[in-house]
Amino acid sequence: MADVVLSVAGLVKAIGGKRIIHDITFEVRAGEVFGFLGPNGAGKTTTIRMLVGLAAPDGGDILIGGESLRNQFSRAISQVGCIVENPELYKFMTGRENLELFARMSGNITTERIDEVVEFVDLTEAIDEKVKTYSLGMRQRLGIAQALLHKPKLLILDEPTNGLDPAGIRELRQFIRKLAEEEGLAVFISSHLLSEIEMMCDRVAIISKGRVISVGSVKSLMEQFADQVDFQFTERSVDQGVQVLRQIPYVTEVWTLTEGHVKCKMDVERIGELNQSLVAAGAEVIGIASKTVTLEDLFLTLTGGGDAHGSEHAGTHSK
Amino acid sequence: MGASMLGLIQNETLKLMRRRRFLVVILILAVLIPIFTYAQFKTVQTAQERLGTSDWRSLLQQRIVDNQNRLASSRMPEEWRQWLKIQIAQQQYYLDHNIDPSAPSGVTFSRGFMDQAVGLFLPMIIVVLAVDLVSSEYSEGTIKLLLTRPVRRWKVLASKYLTLILFVSLTVLSALIMSYVISGVVFGYVGWDMPVLTGFQVVGGELDTSTVFMLPQWQYILLQYGLSWFVCLVVGTITLMVSVLVRTTAAGMGIMMAALISGTILTQMAQSWEQAKYLFNVNLQITDYLAGSLPPIQGMSLPFSLTVLSVWGIVSLIVAFMVFTRRDVTS
Repeated sequence: MADVVLSVAGLVKAIGGKRIIHDITFEVRAGEVFGFLGPNGAGKTTTIRMLVGLAAPDGGDILIGGESLRNQFSRAISQVGCIVENPELYKFMTGRENLELFARMSGNITTERIDEVVEFVDLTEAIDEKVKTYSLGMRQRLGIAQALLHKPKLLILDEPTNGLDPAGIRELRQFIRKLAEEEGLAVFISSHLLSEIEMMCDRVAIISKGRVISVGSVKSLMEQFADQVDFQFTERSVDQGVQVLRQIPYVTEVWTLTEGHVKCKMDVERIGELNQSLVAAGAEVIGIASKTVTLEDLFLTLTGGGDAHGSEHAGTHSK
Repeated sequence: MGASMLGLIQNETLKLMRRRRFLVVILILAVLIPIFTYAQFKTVQTAQERLGTSDWRSLLQQRIVDNQNRLASSRMPEEWRQWLKIQIAQQQYYLDHNIDPSAPSGVTFSRGFMDQAVGLFLPMIIVVLAVDLVSSEYSEGTIKLLLTRPVRRWKVLASKYLTLILFVSLTVLSALIMSYVISGVVFGYVGWDMPVLTGFQVVGGELDTSTVFMLPQWQYILLQYGLSWFVCLVVGTITLMVSVLVRTTAAGMGIMMAALISGTILTQMAQSWEQAKYLFNVNLQITDYLAGSLPPIQGMSLPFSLTVLSVWGIVSLIVAFMVFTRRDVTS
């Protein structure tokens, strides 16, 4: 297993006496793209601000490359490159002047390194123009150049695709994969866009209301929620159907939804067998569907997301 | 690893220059000083027209004789005698060195300019320089890049403060050079050696002239611009604190302008409210102590004003550093 580059343990933050981050714990390893997923207001940005030293945690530890951000700020932060929210650079200066400015703040960065990074983000032609003339995509690339300048081990990107067009998003995605796979960087990305995370990330942490709900590879998280079958009964036989389903040993979970829908976790191969049992018990089945689980379902299930879905889980039962 | 303070100051200087703040300051001076020069020129012209073209030497000679006559009168208190003797010595010096004391020169203009500018005009210019030093980083979002480098926060603010000191010094120096060079075109580049009276003291609400002495004008200018530099430094420090505390340039500008202007108003109406003397903004007219005019509020003196300004400066600096190093950056 690759080295742990970022280790967050028991992170707590209160603002105005109100706890908004509760005990967040996770690790990010070298060479992986780690997604930080949560609805708006879940505490993503607050967590990221603590990771880069912009806000002080009220409890817990942040270790970057084994150095404590609290006690060894300079040593820890020198291993981090970040873009928090939008890439805000000095618009009244040229791209190169911006990079030179940050180079002076990091120390030990040569002119050759600046040229190298500029070439890497493909900004060689525009680098001597003022940043205010740049398009958003160019600013994003300059922001990445700025973040990579001092050869960090950890790249932290907060909502990196905000405001980018589809081509820009794709470009960024390829770029991030390249950094992780070829340069061995640990990349930490926050997003509220599922498709983005699904396509880019090796592992994800899902957070909601300031807590980490689940951490794992995208695949393993989806597997947890695979094998779901949706039965639809007539109005009058719903209760009977649910009763039968709860008695079948290979149905591990049952959720009662609205309009006669009942969701089960079970082996898809045994749908026919189960249907026979239902018919035998006199429950009127009017529809059966085995659903393909998307990360979106998973996300909404875990975070109690969209209101329509949230109410569906009111009747969750476990066996 | 980490950045040198020199590199950080270079960064701050670059930002300040690229924001064209110093250019604005120089432009303000370049526009206003010729206007003041012209106004001064008109004043001199009017005075000459009124008094006729009489010879200033005979006028001065007449005044010396008058003073000597008064000195001869025996009922005069000793300190008045001293004062008259110094005045006679000064007038004699003017006569001997062929200096017309009422004629303006480039140096005299520079002196008069600073007397007028130190209370409001120059502090306002300093506010223009300093007000967005920190707040602009917040409003533009660049603070997130500035504080996520391997540089401690106190060092970031210290580099800003040192840069501010540098530009406050340059501004005061520019004011001197520009007022001398521009007004010199009209009034001539002379007057460095002209003696000026200073050393006045205020004792019990009265002007004490017993300690007055003559100073070559260049030394007087040095003293005057040095004190003005200190006033500007304190105003700059207070502005820096405001820049740390508020997020927008407009709010900072409003606060500082209100403080400076209310100081000018208070000095004119606060004679009966003695505690007002502890406010920084009524202590800005610091060159008046040199020229010997009575302070606006009883109990004020040069050491008093210097102390009040120092305390305000130090407290502002402490507040600025405490808040800047501890506050969370939120959007």
